[in-house]
Amino acid sequence: MKIVAHALLASAAALGLAACSSEPQEPVEQIIVREAGTAEPAVTAAGASTDLAGLAASGKAAFAACAACHSVQPDGASGVGPNLYGVVGRAAGSLGGFVYSDALASSSLTWDEAALDGYIANPSAAMPGTNMVAGAEADVGRREAIIAYLTSLAE
Amino acid sequence: MIKTQINGRPEEIEADPAMPILWVVREKLGMNGTKFGCGIAQCGACTVHLDGQPIRSCSTPISAAEGKSITTIEGIADQDGTLSKVQQAWISEQVPQCGYCQSGQIMSATALLKQTSRPTDDQIDTAMTGNICRCGMYGRIRKAIKVAAGIEPSAAQEKTA
Amino acid sequence: MSEVKDAKTPRSKAAKWTRRGFIGAGVLAGGALLVGVAVRSGNPIDKLKPIVAGGDGEALINSWVKIGADNLITAIVPHCEMGQGANSTIAQMLADEMDVNWENIRVMEAPADGNYVSQHTVRAFIGPGTLPDRPNQVGFMEPTYDGLFTQVAKLAGAYVTGGSSSVRTTGQNGMRIAGAAAREMLVAAAAAEWGVPTSEITTENAVLTHAKSGKSETYANFAAGAAEQDLPRAPRIKTVDEYKLMGTSAPRKDIPSKVDGTAIFGIDGGPEGQELKYAAVKAAPVMGARVDSMDASTARTMGGVLQILNMGDFVAVVADSYWQAQQALNTIQTTYTKTELDTLDSDQMFADFGKALDDAGASGGSSKADYGDAAGVFTAAANKVEAEYKVPFLAHATMEPMNCTAWVHDGKCDIWTGSQMPLVARGGAAEGAGIDADDVNMHSVFLGGGFGRRLTAEYSNQAARLAKATGYPIKMIWSREEDTAQDFYRPADISRFSGGLDENGKVVSWNNVHCTEDEPNDAALVEFYDIPNVSVRNAEVEMPLRLGAWRSVAHSQHGFFVESFVDELANEAGQDPLEFRRGLLANSPRHLAVLDAAAKMSNWGSELPEDHGRGIALVRSFNSIVAEVAEVDMTSGKPRIVKMYCCIDAGFAMNPDGLIAQMESGIIYGLAAAMYDEITLKDGRVEQSNFHDYQMMRMDDAPEIAVQIINGAPDNLGGGGEPGLPPAAPALANAIFAATGQRIRELPIAKHFT
Repeated sequence: MKIVAHALLASAAALGLAACSSEPQEPVEQIIVREAGTAEPAVTAAGASTDLAGLAASGKAAFAACAACHSVQPDGASGVGPNLYGVVGRAAGSLGGFVYSDALASSSLTWDEAALDGYIANPSAAMPGTNMVAGAEADVGRREAIIAYLTSLAE
Repeated sequence: MIKTQINGRPEEIEADPAMPILWVVREKLGMNGTKFGCGIAQCGACTVHLDGQPIRSCSTPISAAEGKSITTIEGIADQDGTLSKVQQAWISEQVPQCGYCQSGQIMSATALLKQTSRPTDDQIDTAMTGNICRCGMYGRIRKAIKVAAGIEPSAAQEKTA
Repeated sequence: MSEVKDAKTPRSKAAKWTRRGFIGAGVLAGGALLVGVAVRSGNPIDKLKPIVAGGDGEALINSWVKIGADNLITAIVPHCEMGQGANSTIAQMLADEMDVNWENIRVMEAPADGNYVSQHTVRAFIGPGTLPDRPNQVGFMEPTYDGLFTQVAKLAGAYVTGGSSSVRTTGQNGMRIAGAAAREMLVAAAAAEWGVPTSEITTENAVLTHAKSGKSETYANFAAGAAEQDLPRAPRIKTVDEYKLMGTSAPRKDIPSKVDGTAIFGIDGGPEGQELKYAAVKAAPVMGARVDSMDASTARTMGGVLQILNMGDFVAVVADSYWQAQQALNTIQTTYTKTELDTLDSDQMFADFGKALDDAGASGGSSKADYGDAAGVFTAAANKVEAEYKVPFLAHATMEPMNCTAWVHDGKCDIWTGSQMPLVARGGAAEGAGIDADDVNMHSVFLGGGFGRRLTAEYSNQAARLAKATGYPIKMIWSREEDTAQDFYRPADISRFSGGLDENGKVVSWNNVHCTEDEPNDAALVEFYDIPNVSVRNAEVEMPLRLGAWRSVAHSQHGFFVESFVDELANEAGQDPLEFRRGLLANSPRHLAVLDAAAKMSNWGSELPEDHGRGIALVRSFNSIVAEVAEVDMTSGKPRIVKMYCCIDAGFAMNPDGLIAQMESGIIYGLAAAMYDEITLKDGRVEQSNFHDYQMMRMDDAPEIAVQIINGAPDNLGGGGEPGLPPAAPALANAIFAATGQRIRELPIAKHFT
């Protein structure tokens, strides 16, 4: 019965709050950057850290989304996607024990930062026929951070 | 300025090139059929076609659509409004529950059937595993794909058989 | 049916409630004498007309049925559509009683204006003793009960969808009566106009016919006349053999819009002609904490940003697009005030739970059930089994994250958001905008999943506050990470059992103590099993997360606990789990029938391939009895769920395919949690964030599901939305035991098989 009992209490609380709330509803601080319809400042990419250690740290957080398919342990097993320990500077499609798509297997690309950046931004555009149909990272700052993180692993 | 095609219409999009296709389509073009579920290409609710291939629009920047064509759920039916075979099967098998994931499911299923006209269960698994249905309608989705492909009869046909 | 001649209605404390409360023709039978409420006649129809019958030529018969000039009938249903198909099924019930074909029926969600309340739902949960055996049996107390519960519901703003109750309360006790009453009023109007007895008029597909004279008219033509008739007190409703639409799988009215992208969910709604701004928000991650400081130096420089706000309990970025707002929000550094929970992790919390159970000992805590001498008989029992089970917090993870669009203007507020309690959502927005709830206009939308999540007010409150502070119409969307971190969770729990068997393997004593309060009350009870000595208690613990109703509520954990322990008792007794249960159901024939049917479906007892196992579980919840059998394949060393078999007795399936879909849905939702899901805490914060670490069932691991329906009690309906869930986890755990001998007592299952 909690559904309704709980709901009744919640609704009574919600309705009662309108009369005498102890919870302030107004902003504590309100920064007005600009008015709607006015010109924007020069666009800055996301990803605040400029120092590499900080960048790698935020890259590690951003990598959480990739971890569903890619492990990063040294000598770690590949799963849905290949293990990415040491991938920066590696030839594309070259990790032993992983079954790559024809596109990756036949590629002559080396995973330098630029190649990784383009690939992670849009894998199937960068490498049509790739099996990586998920995990694209649209934000240039997050890609930079992820690549910094991957670089930091093998250092 | 990004020049692209959306459901057959040429469009010139004024947006940050890094903005994901999902938000361009929903906010700049007012087309709400494509949905937001996770933002990291894990749920498939945002699936659209880019040059006929299924992509997760939450994780694909609009810059990737330059010179290409995007198809959304709004563009799947025929010009005269006749629903596609996949859409009709979704109705005959009463697939949607809450329905929030179904635009993405239909886009993935449509791309599958364009590529493989009579898919096996394994092929259905591979093509559809990126689309989460929290209401759990996987059995019906699988059935509807087979009905649309002509592999199995629809619920209505089964009744009269 | 019998008027009590000299009943002296006692003077009521509630004498000030003088308005005849019922909305629509809700005349039902009475039960015990509860309290007398003075009523006087009145009909709120005039007030509601402008809201629901705005078009020309529309007549409002009673407030739940609308007849258009085009002879299309609209059912106005005070429930939301979140995938369970209730509104469509309720409209089926109306259509059948009104003799209207399915093609001519439309469904409209009732407006959130305080006049529509789900009083039948309220009554079923608060005053079930007052409900009749049959919906239209009229006693003299009925207008009183209906008025009473309507007033209660209105005071509480209880316009609610939950508890698997819409079809069996509003549908069965409200809409059917409304439909039958509408039909009778139309017949009365036609009889008056044609000067013929009502008994000579027939109704079919929204047409009235007087065969003798050959006269025939659409409902629409008599609607105005019908609206003048008195609301009948005991309209005749159909018996099961007369059902034409009820009991059929009429296709759902909302499904077509869900295959072509036109269905409007909360995240899609907003004011026409207004330029929306978008908000991304992040609330304090630890319960009770507030924002201490906010460093938005990078966010200020980012594209599209308009404003950055520290609201005290959350921070927000408002921008030209949601994506820009979220990107900027991700760069904001926030510190929070300290709380006692800042050092808490899940291990410590479970240790605290264990201590609370230790402190409760053999007889402490609150008693939920106590009959016989459970402790004494246990001590003397020939064979004893003791077990402790543990389940984690669970998130709802609706496919559509929390969101609300709010527009504050001219002292009013419009909101678009999915809600299972529209008046609560309205109230949250009213508070945020600093206006009366009646000045909040809530627009109905579809919900991209409810599951008990969308019962709360905080997200409409946030959006209204931002709209008020910025002056913009705001579409606020929670990221999936925010949605995972700021849920109202299914509580974690530890449940300890000690069971005693006699020398014949019969259960003689059942002792259980656990940590959660039980809502619904019967979740941990086992009175349908023949166990003579039972003690069920709960110990009080502190919960470090906000709690909410998660699909099937306390049945979700107690189904697992109880049906796992029954299996362990069966094992100790050396009996087959099905036979063991059959032996305990001598006095529960409906339960037994459901159990037997599920076992038969699964070919229980027949040979399985090696490393395969079957498990069975039986749970009654929300007035429905469900048994499930899981077939699992352990060949790879990890569980692969091959197939689920499910039998449900929900009294009567108003829409069989709809009920089957809800069983499939509850099973998958329950299995995902059983296999994969836990919400854990570190430093007081939820650790999980998105679908990579809070895993969902998908096409490639979802089992095949077979469902069979038993219509065991056509006048006593059970629910459909939740009852499929509770047996899923125990059936699976029991199957794994059958296959491997490994007993899983802690969920999720996958962590035992890495």
